[in-house]
Amino acid sequence: MTAVGVRASRPDALAKVRGLASYAVDYAETGMLHARLLRSPVPAGRITRLDVSAARTMPGVHAVATAAEAPGHRNGLVLMDTPFFADDVVRYESEPIAMVIAESPQQANVAVDSITLEIEETKPVSNVEDAMAPGATLVHPDLEQYESIPGVAPWPRSGNAGGILTSDPGGVDEAFDAADLVVEDTYVVPRQYQAYLEPKSATASYDGHRWTIHVSHQFPHNIRTRVAQALGVEVSRIRVVGHHIGGGFGARLDLGLEQFAALGAAMIGRTVKLVNERVEDLISCMSRENATIRVRSGVTKDGRIVARDFECLMDGGAYAGDTPYLTSIALLMAGSVYRVEKARVVAKSVYTNTAPTGAFRGVSGTYICFAIERHMDQLANALGMDRREFRLRNLFRSGDAMLNGQVLDDADILREAFERVEEVAPWAETGKGRLRGVGVASVIWLTNPSAGSATLTLHEDGHLGVATAATENGSGAVAMGIRQIAAGEFDLAAEDVFVTMPDTDSQPYDAGSQGSRTTHVVGMAVHNAANKMKTRIFDLASNLLAALPDELELRGGNVCVRDDPAQSVPLATVAKTALGSGGPISATGTYSVPLPKWDPDAAEGLLFPVFPVQTYHVHLAEVEVDPFDGKVKVTRYVVAQEVGRMINPDGVYGQIQGGVAQGMGYALWEGLESKEGRYTRRTLESYGLPLAVDVPDIEMIILEHPHEAGPFGAKGVAEPPIVPVAAAIANAVADATGVEINRLPIDPEQLLAAIDGQGD
Amino acid sequence: MQLDLTVNGVARRLDVDSDETLLHTLRERLHLTGTKEGCDEGECGACTVLVDGRPIHSCIYPALAASGTDVQTVESLAAPDGTLSPLQRAFVEKAAVQCGFCTPGFLMTLTALLDQNSAPSRAEVEEAVAGNICRCTGYSTIRAAVQQAVGEVRS
Repeated sequence: MTAVGVRASRPDALAKVRGLASYAVDYAETGMLHARLLRSPVPAGRITRLDVSAARTMPGVHAVATAAEAPGHRNGLVLMDTPFFADDVVRYESEPIAMVIAESPQQANVAVDSITLEIEETKPVSNVEDAMAPGATLVHPDLEQYESIPGVAPWPRSGNAGGILTSDPGGVDEAFDAADLVVEDTYVVPRQYQAYLEPKSATASYDGHRWTIHVSHQFPHNIRTRVAQALGVEVSRIRVVGHHIGGGFGARLDLGLEQFAALGAAMIGRTVKLVNERVEDLISCMSRENATIRVRSGVTKDGRIVARDFECLMDGGAYAGDTPYLTSIALLMAGSVYRVEKARVVAKSVYTNTAPTGAFRGVSGTYICFAIERHMDQLANALGMDRREFRLRNLFRSGDAMLNGQVLDDADILREAFERVEEVAPWAETGKGRLRGVGVASVIWLTNPSAGSATLTLHEDGHLGVATAATENGSGAVAMGIRQIAAGEFDLAAEDVFVTMPDTDSQPYDAGSQGSRTTHVVGMAVHNAANKMKTRIFDLASNLLAALPDELELRGGNVCVRDDPAQSVPLATVAKTALGSGGPISATGTYSVPLPKWDPDAAEGLLFPVFPVQTYHVHLAEVEVDPFDGKVKVTRYVVAQEVGRMINPDGVYGQIQGGVAQGMGYALWEGLESKEGRYTRRTLESYGLPLAVDVPDIEMIILEHPHEAGPFGAKGVAEPPIVPVAAAIANAVADATGVEINRLPIDPEQLLAAIDGQGD
Repeated sequence: MQLDLTVNGVARRLDVDSDETLLHTLRERLHLTGTKEGCDEGECGACTVLVDGRPIHSCIYPALAASGTDVQTVESLAAPDGTLSPLQRAFVEKAAVQCGFCTPGFLMTLTALLDQNSAPSRAEVEEAVAGNICRCTGYSTIRAAVQQAVGEVRS
C-alpha cells in the first residue's frame, strides 16, 4: 500500500460540497457582539476633529474605540511603523480610525455613520516616483525612530524608502563599456488584489487574562505574535483558532482585523465579531505591490549577457508590512535562470499614501520575472537572435551561482524543462499566423524554509491523528499533502489519517501557508515525528510478536515480521497495548530547512538571503489577438514544473491550473491602479477577475527530482505557477503584434492602435 | 413582515425585515450557512441558491420576493443519508474543490443547468457559470466535474 503519489480524495472537500464546512465568517457564539470600523475617507491628512459621543449613545452600541482607547505604541511585521488606530495623521484611504461595537452589524453601521470626523486633507504621496523625488513629502517623518522587530539584522532605510537593498560587486560599468550592445527598458505593473472569496473577519473573546481569536488565516502563529505585539501583551495570552479558509493567496499572513476584535472583546468582556464588507476589503487589503522596474543589460554579439543594471521601486504603501523583505527578491532573481556576468542591483520598498501592500502568491517574483523575461526578448530581438536560442545560450547550468552567491547544484533541470516543453510545443511551429504569437518564460523559485511542527497520535482504532498548526488554505497541502505523507510514513491508507484544525494553544509553532512550504517543511516534521513513534511501536510489537524490534516493519495497518509477514499484529492492538504500557503512542516532530550557503557580502539590506529547496519552471504561452477589439486570447498554455515528488497529482495539477489562472488575470485584466491615492477600480465586478470562459485548460509537464531530505522527495509546488505567467503571455503578445509590452495589464487599446497602424 | 416559503423541502413562516436579502434570511435566521456571502454585490456567485429551480444571487435578492417559492440551498443536494448528488461527487472526484468558498454557488448554478440541459456543451457550461467566480482552481477541474456528472446522469 502506498498513499504517496496517488489520487486520494480530500476529506474537507466532502464537507465543502455539502455546505457543512465552517469558515471564520460562519463562526458565531451566543451573545456575540458586532463591530464595524470607521476608516479614513481620504488618503492623507490631519484629523482635526473626531467626535464619537453621539455614536456612544446610539441604540445597541456597547462601546466606541479610538486611538485614545487603544495601545499607544506602534506595531509592524518587520518595522514597528503602524499605529493601532490613526491618531492625528491618516496615511491611506481606509486606514482605521475608530471602531463601534454594537448588538447587530446594522446598529454598528448606523453608529459609525454618526461619528463626526473632520480631516484637513494634505496632498498624498501617490506614487513611487513622487515618493523618491528630491524634496518629497515624507510619509513617515519619524522613520529613523521606528524600531524593527527583534531578531532582524539592521537594514538601510531613509526618506520614503522603508527598505533599501544594494548590491554592487564592482566592475559593472567596465563590463558595460566592453559590451557590443546595450538595451534598456522600464516596466510598470499595478497592484494585484488577492480576491479570496471569503472576506476577512475575526471573532475574539476575552476571559480577563487571555484572548481567543477565531480566524480563517494562513498563519495563526503570526496572528498570535502580531496581536500580542499590537496589544502589548505576552504571546502566550493569545490563542488563535483556525477555521476553513476561503482563499488567502498571501493576504492572510499578516494582521487583518484580529487586533480590533481583540481590543473590543477586552473592552466589553463579550465576544466581538468583525467582518469586512467587500469594497472595504478590496481597498484596505495588503495587495501585491505595484512596481517600476528598470533593466539595462550589455550583451556581446554572440549573445552573452556581460553587464546588468537592475533597479526596482516597490510600492509598500503607507506602512511597510513585509516589503523590506521583498527587496531581496530582486537580488535573487536579477541574475538567475540566465547567466549575467556582472550585475548591480538596487531595490527599494517605498512609502506612499496608499493602502499598505504585502504578500500575494509569488510576491515580487511575478513582476521581476515579467521585467527580466520581457527584457530577454528585447535583447534577443536587438541582437537579431532567436528568443529561445538566446535563452538556451545563457541558461544556468548545475554549479552556477545566483547573485547572492548561492550555488545551484541542480540547475540543469532548467534545460530539461525547456526540452520537455519543446517536445509538446515545438518553438518553430507554435504561435504562427497573423496576430498569433508565442512566448516563453522561466523562473527559479524557493520553498519557504521557516519552521513547522506536527504531533502524531496513533489512536486505539489504528487510525493516525495529525495535529498541526499548518493551515489548509485550499491548496491541498494539508488535506492531501500532510495527510498522505503521514499515511505513507506508516503504510496506512489516506483514509486512516485525519488532520486537526489549527489551534495555537495545543500545537507548536508553524510558519503558515506561505512560499509553498507546508508540504515540504511540515511533511518533514511528520517524518521526524513518525521516526520517534516507530521506535515505540516496534518495541511494543516485539513483545506481542516475539521478534526483535529491528525485524519488524509496518504494512497495511499492521506490524509484521519482515521475513515472515504472516506474523503480524494490527496497529490498533499496539495502540491499545500502549495505554497500559507507558501511555499513548504519540510524538511531535519539528523541522526547518537548513539554509544553503550564501555570500553575506553580496548585498546590503539582504533580509531574505536565499532560495532554499529551489524548484525550476518553464512556461510557454501561445496567444491570438483579436483584430477587431485587441483582446488577447490564450490559445495554449504549457507548464513544465519541477516538484521533487508528487504527493498527490490532483494537488499539483490544481496548484498549477489555479496559479496560471491568477497569472493570466495579472497579465490581461486585473490591477488596482490609483489616482491621487485612491483606487480607481473598487468593486469585485470592476476589478476584472478571470471567469471560466477566460481560462484554457493548461498542459502540464511534471518533473520529479526527489529532494534528498524528503518528505518522500517533495518540494514546494503551490506558489511558483503564478510567477512566469505574465512574462510568457506578454512575450507572446509582443510576438503576435510587434507591440512592446512593458506595462500590465496588457492594454487592448494599445494593441488595437498598433494593429490598425499596421493596416490590413 | 411575514414571509412564507419552502426551504429545502420544509415549509417556513418567518418574520423578516422589508429590506432583508434572501441570503440574510437563509444565513442569519435559518442558520443555513452553506450559502456564502462573498461580495454582497451580486458579482461573485458564492450566494447562489435556486428559487423555483432558477439560480439567483441571494445577496441581492429581496427575501420577500421569495414569498411562496420553493428555495433550494446547497444543504439540500445530498440525500438525507449523506449520499452525494452526482455533481457533488464529481466535484470531489475531479478535485474541483480547493478553498471551497465558491463551491456551493457553483453547485447550485450547475445543478440548475443540468436540470435544464442534460448534455451542456463547454460553452453552455461556461456561460452558465459566468456569474460565479472561482479564484483557486482555474476552472478546468470544474468543467471536468460537470462532464463527469453529465456522463453519470446519462448512463
